[in-house]
Amino acid sequence: MATLDVEGKSYEVDEEGYLMDWQEWTEGVAGAMAKEDGLDLSAEHWNVIKFLRSYFEKYQIAPMIKILTKELAKEYGKEKGNTKYLYELYPAGPAKQACRYAGLPKPTGCV
Amino acid sequence: MNGLSTVINLLAYVTALVFVVGFLNKVILYFKTPNPLLIPTTPAPTTTMGVVARMIPEVLFFRSLLKGGTAEKVLWVGGWIFHVTFLLIVLRHLRFFTYPVPGIIMAFQGLGILAGLLFPIALLILIVRRFTNDRMAVITLFQDYFVLILIIAIGLTGLLLKYYVRTNLVDVKAFILGLLTFSPAQLPDSPIFLIHFGLVLVLLAYFPFSKLMHAWGILVSPTRAQADNPREARHVAPWAQ
Amino acid sequence: MADIKAPELTGEIITPKVTPGASKGIMPFKAKPELMEKVNFPAEKPSNWKELFLKKMEEILKKYRSVRVFLDECVRCGACTDKCHYFLSTGDPRNMPVHRQELMRSVYRKYFTTGGKLLGNLAGARELSDELLEEWLTYFYQCSECRRCSVFCPYGIDTAEITMAAREILDATGIGSKYNLEIINKAETIGNNLGMPGPALRNTLDFVEEEIEEKTGVPVKLPLDVEGADILLVTPSADFFAEPHVLSLEGYAKVFHQAGVNWTISSHASEGGNFGMFIGNYDHMKTINKRIWDAARDLKVKRVIAGECGHAWRVLYSFSNTLNGPFDFLDSQYRQPSHICEYTLDLIKKGAIKLDKAANDEFSVTFHDSCNVARASRMGETPGDQMTIPREIINACCNKFVDMADDTIGERTFCCGGGGGVLTDEMIDIRVKGAMPRMQALKRVKDSHDVNFFALICAICKAQFTKIFPIYGIEMEEVGGVHQLISNSIQLGAKEGV
Repeated sequence: MATLDVEGKSYEVDEEGYLMDWQEWTEGVAGAMAKEDGLDLSAEHWNVIKFLRSYFEKYQIAPMIKILTKELAKEYGKEKGNTKYLYELYPAGPAKQACRYAGLPKPTGCV
Repeated sequence: MNGLSTVINLLAYVTALVFVVGFLNKVILYFKTPNPLLIPTTPAPTTTMGVVARMIPEVLFFRSLLKGGTAEKVLWVGGWIFHVTFLLIVLRHLRFFTYPVPGIIMAFQGLGILAGLLFPIALLILIVRRFTNDRMAVITLFQDYFVLILIIAIGLTGLLLKYYVRTNLVDVKAFILGLLTFSPAQLPDSPIFLIHFGLVLVLLAYFPFSKLMHAWGILVSPTRAQADNPREARHVAPWAQ
Repeated sequence: MADIKAPELTGEIITPKVTPGASKGIMPFKAKPELMEKVNFPAEKPSNWKELFLKKMEEILKKYRSVRVFLDECVRCGACTDKCHYFLSTGDPRNMPVHRQELMRSVYRKYFTTGGKLLGNLAGARELSDELLEEWLTYFYQCSECRRCSVFCPYGIDTAEITMAAREILDATGIGSKYNLEIINKAETIGNNLGMPGPALRNTLDFVEEEIEEKTGVPVKLPLDVEGADILLVTPSADFFAEPHVLSLEGYAKVFHQAGVNWTISSHASEGGNFGMFIGNYDHMKTINKRIWDAARDLKVKRVIAGECGHAWRVLYSFSNTLNGPFDFLDSQYRQPSHICEYTLDLIKKGAIKLDKAANDEFSVTFHDSCNVARASRMGETPGDQMTIPREIINACCNKFVDMADDTIGERTFCCGGGGGVLTDEMIDIRVKGAMPRMQALKRVKDSHDVNFFALICAICKAQFTKIFPIYGIEMEEVGGVHQLISNSIQLGAKEGV
């Protein structure tokens, strides 16, 4: 099993770097993952991550992308509340990259 | 009857048995193996009559092959001529199997001879394409060449018998009719005939255990032979209840 | 993933030179032991794996005429060799359908035929080995089960059947695909491929309702688990999650709203897709399919309608009746599932829904036939209606429609490159390549007709192209559903036609 080491603690991750146990997540985990990708996490990035986690805690699944962009719109206005902006934040795909940083399992299915 | 004749007569019976039993065995095996699901390649006919109408051009004119590109068109020409001429040649040979020879078979003789000449040309196309195209070269196996060469050899020895080393037809016919009536007769005194006849036996014995079973397989391939009627009827195979 | 490069778009599909091993090394992640056990397969490859392998293979040979006949009757004529999108884009000979099948046929010769037992290598027979297993895992997962090869085969040999059998054998040997088995497990335990529980689904549907009302001012409902509804809609769960999928979901909802029918989605069967088919496992396919019919029975609906999903439609249309039929509890007029396209076109023809074509005037549209719809199912009354019905719908709601080249549509359609359980990130390289023939055909109509809307009726196609388009330098927003076009153009409220 692959691991991700953050601040002296070792986290189990799968082949693609998703956390095996979403409850183990810390902000340090997200930071370390972003660092590996060469990404600086801005306030907007964190906002996405926190929204994903709170949604997941409530519903045991990540939200539909549209729900996420709408949340962004509420927070930052229309020009940032769209899929394009989400891809600017998370170039590898909001569901996949943002979910990973948030410590959530990868969405499966025809997505 | 000399010793060789006895052996060949015996071999002929054994081969015939192997061919018939082997062929029927596959027919029964395919028949007994169920189709758990409806898997016709669609658009497909929805009725049995429709399936028959789909299969006729598949069997007689290799219709699906014609959907392909240039390579398949070349293959179609070679393959179709090969199969049709093979059939004509077999029909022509019925004159050696019947007494008296029915008029219709006699009427075939000219066509049969023409077929005999086209036959090796068609086979040449089939064999040359196997090593001149990089994709064919990769997929071709030993047995693909084996069966082509076997059939070419049968054709060429046949042509030899017809045009160069003529054999006494009365002897040939006596031999064949002897086999058919279970009163074995002397093998004609002709090495070429022996080779020709022997190769035919090899082909027959090989047939049920080889890709040549496509002759039957084409009729039972579920992607072509099934009707597309899941809405109209419930299709259930015994094991899948 | 940024280093993945797409083939150049020239508009031409050229048969490549054979390059052995060109796509070696591209294979799915293996499922972990815990997952294997959850879906009733051996946890991992045991030391006696050859026994398990051959036992399963023998069982399949007895159970499936397709496999038995296909293994026997191939004459290696080569007609299929340049028909597979994965061969056309990689040149790897193992991606020629006949040579992919050869991976199984060689084993068949070795252990199940007299000639192979006697002559071994000379007859093209091959012994089981770890190396062979690796090749199976590679190339039987580089097949999207699209059936294009079977169209051109003079005997109709369908590589999809061989691929499904091979995956079933691998699973029985303790080697499974993580992606496919994870999804199967979620569909069987939670009810959909995403693993979206009921409350999340309701929340999502509420959101979609809000969206529609915001955009149109009309309160269109997306009911969940409504007993006594007339229609049960089963659609791929991607419609509840991804874009552009959800835009078609809005389209279905608007159509039902405008038709004035009671309809519902089920949280028990919140998935149209059925990955049991992809791995050739009859039991999983049946179990997943059964959820739909249990839901239909429990909710006392009159009929079942399928949303935009290719392989879901194959299972629903072609296999449902066999797997879990007969469906006597449904309305006698609708004993078999209908496709949403059949339903919508019927309403259009009756004048029950009004469409404003001008609403789609910004789009020049082309339509991609999904393989499982085109070559493995039917819509409507007449064979081939599965091609005409979606096109009729598009033409009813758009002014600009053009078809791609004839040899790339209809029964000859090219796979999106992500079908058959290949739609997973570790396969991205082969997915990008596999899309090449389709992308070339698209390029031609983009050049000639400025096509900017690629209309689809399959969740896999939608997810695949959304991912692939940007790599080919095309905006992902150009990917959309047929019912997205309906959604744009449908006139809500105006009910005089009913």
